[in-house]
Amino acid sequence: MQVMLQHTPGRLLSLPLFAFSLLIGGGACAQDGKEPGWTLSGFGTIGAVHSSERNADYTASVLKADGAGATHRWSANVDSRLGAQLDYRLDRRWSAVLQMVSEQGLDNSYRPRIEWANVKFQATPELALRFGRIALPMFLAADYRKVGYAYPWVRPPVEGYGTLPFTSSDGVDATLRWSAGRVRNASQLFYGREHVALAAPLHAYARGVVGISNTSDWGALSLRASVMSGEVTSDVGSALFDAFEAAGPAGAAIARRYEIDHKRARIASIGMNYDPGQWFLMLEASRSRTASLLGATRSAYASAGVRLHAFTPYLVVSRVRASEATRDDGLPTAGLAPADAARIAQLNGGLNLLLATIPQQTTQAAGVRWDLAANAALKLQYDRVTPHHGSRGSMINLAPGFRSGRTAHVASVTLDFVY
Amino acid sequence: MRSGPFRRLFAAALLVLAGMPAGAAELVVIVSAKNPVNGLRADQVAAIFLGQSVRFPDGLEAVPLDQPLGSQLRDEFYERVAGKSPALLKAHWSKMVFTGRGQPPREVPDSAAVRRRVAENPELIGYIERGALDGSVRPVLVVR
Repeated sequence: MQVMLQHTPGRLLSLPLFAFSLLIGGGACAQDGKEPGWTLSGFGTIGAVHSSERNADYTASVLKADGAGATHRWSANVDSRLGAQLDYRLDRRWSAVLQMVSEQGLDNSYRPRIEWANVKFQATPELALRFGRIALPMFLAADYRKVGYAYPWVRPPVEGYGTLPFTSSDGVDATLRWSAGRVRNASQLFYGREHVALAAPLHAYARGVVGISNTSDWGALSLRASVMSGEVTSDVGSALFDAFEAAGPAGAAIARRYEIDHKRARIASIGMNYDPGQWFLMLEASRSRTASLLGATRSAYASAGVRLHAFTPYLVVSRVRASEATRDDGLPTAGLAPADAARIAQLNGGLNLLLATIPQQTTQAAGVRWDLAANAALKLQYDRVTPHHGSRGSMINLAPGFRSGRTAHVASVTLDFVY
Repeated sequence: MRSGPFRRLFAAALLVLAGMPAGAAELVVIVSAKNPVNGLRADQVAAIFLGQSVRFPDGLEAVPLDQPLGSQLRDEFYERVAGKSPALLKAHWSKMVFTGRGQPPREVPDSAAVRRRVAENPELIGYIERGALDGSVRPVLVVR
């Protein structure tokens, strides 16, 4: 079983691609329902963001090359993206899907990436099995976070969602639908792996990713609880940790503690959405923990809005805090020769720079969504973003003048559409 | 205790509804006359049409049929049964489609076509104007 799972993703990914190429060549007609056929759909966001912080870029994901503030006062890269999805249904049981997304990546290109590609086997009307690249069903909205049209805000609160930059995993999942009285549930179990190319030449891997997510719908109330665990490895900070290891047993202990080397990462979240139509209330809390420089965090947000004809004004308060220390004294410099002391102090400084990336931040936001057409929404949002306790929060590309604790005023406008 | 402007507003709304043309005011959810289901609650119907439930209460698989996008009947059905405006319904299906959880119900041109297809297949469920009812289908919920 283990061996099969390790080798399947690559092979499985080519299967839907092959199926789609056959279909496009054959010019099959578009249909939905229970007949064979393919469906093309898509989504996109055109956005512009302005930040008052001139010494850092505001971003919604650490997997971006830049954002708004330092690099550009106005940035289109924070939220803009285009996605296309091809669904193919073979019969009642077998179907396949391919979703491509183009958005700014760490390489500063909009090169389209395969967001997910999987083959689905509907074993019974209640039980579905999928093989391939699958959306991670974490948080209330993580699996559709790239589809701006599907949620009220300009973007899901960065404090919680930023702790999980990955949105998919390569492997298998099983989803079971079941009812308990009037409560309709969907329970999803998944197993897989993930590789992310960070700023060249760095990489991050998550292996043995296993998780379970349960969504319960009861009338206007929706609840989702999910837990996920995986073994993460990355060469982020490896040069620094090599230097610590060379500094003796105490340095090696620091390296072992913080390097991202086969470290178990866990994320758990629980959220609710009450949406009777005229208004909505969303509450969500999450915890993440890794025994590494990624640290341990707790996040929570609350959001509410009212629907007045085509307009939905809303408020969001959101927070993420470290639940373990984010500073380390490092190695002692006392009694060392001045040159050695300077070198060790530099290592200690480098370590604390990495620990400052553990997010600690609060945001208060107000915005309005305008459903201007059947499949398009225009959104305006103002965010008051404050990284604190020495953390950079969701800021990237820090300039020397950046100070944690200073509030950034962020204004965003987006046009979301689906087709 | 419940009198005052709110109650008067409610009474006025009822009057407006009563004065609407019969087709706009009352629609019925139908299954085939061959389907043993006798009645459904609004929440059961909503769950089937929103892709949260895949069976009738007696265990038979349930496949919903929609009226065309933009039709008044469709907008009223989702507003009353699921509390969803066309925009909210679109957002709902965006979540379902783009996470691979399902595709929206198949669309059929009008009430006569819905009735004809539902009559033929016990797995299908649809909604039509009350005036379009005949003996080939069984109403399982009256939506006012």
